Amino acid sequence: MFERFTQAARAVVKGAVEHAERDGTKTVTKEHLLLALLDRQDTRAAAALRTLCPPDRRPSLTAALATARRRAGLSRADTQALADLGIDVGAIVDRVEEAHGTGALAGDRKDPGWWSGRQTFSREAKTVLEKSLRVALARKDREIGDEHILLALTMTGGVVAEALADHGVTYTAVDTLVTGPKAQVIPGG
Amino acid sequence: MTDATDLAARAGDRDPRVGLRAVSALRRLLEQLEAVQVRSARNQGWSWQEIAAELGVSRQAVHKKYGRQ
Repeated sequence: MFERFTQAARAVVKGAVEHAERDGTKTVTKEHLLLALLDRQDTRAAAALRTLCPPDRRPSLTAALATARRRAGLSRADTQALADLGIDVGAIVDRVEEAHGTGALAGDRKDPGWWSGRQTFSREAKTVLEKSLRVALARKDREIGDEHILLALTMTGGVVAEALADHGVTYTAVDTLVTGPKAQVIPGG
Repeated sequence: MTDATDLAARAGDRDPRVGLRAVSALRRLLEQLEAVQVRSARNQGWSWQEIAAELGVSRQAVHKKYGRQ
């Protein structure tokens, strides 16, 4: 599958691994893929992201991801489903953080050196990469670019898709931007 | 956003999607809670055997899952 990835798409995969390394975690997640996409310049995904979520809205996007991480990686839809059962996720997070420190439920380990092996992609991150291939095939594109990774991220649900949608980055919006003759000459926001 | 409002709207309909989503979310929350508590117990000097007994699982199971940390 990776032989069909463009240079931009490969750079995103590599960037995601580097983000995971910087976090000190062994697992490369969908969030790391998004952070790597946000790092890119002059690619199709970068152009779409710049238009839909300009740089001044980026802090809000990354803050949304951080908040979700503190809530054990639960999306708002997850939190709502639990609220329907009478489980108040916010209260649980508050209690646990009171006893064990801020970010206790975030599940990442900051102590350097606890992990020295190679990073592996989470099941969900793998699904995104597989889906990017399917997205490319469905669009009859010969190669898998970083825009296909972005499209795949918007359609796999969970925290990342939710945060993206909250910032105007939906499948339809990205699809419209990357389709058509003007896809590569979108002016910077 | 749409996902959350969609689910909220369906909550009253006994839509299995909401119930299943809650189970999956609860599992994720449980995993994180377990990791926090096991780490805390280890930091306080608990043995794997003691932790396993409280969790109701075998010592091997809990060590395999958290032993590297």
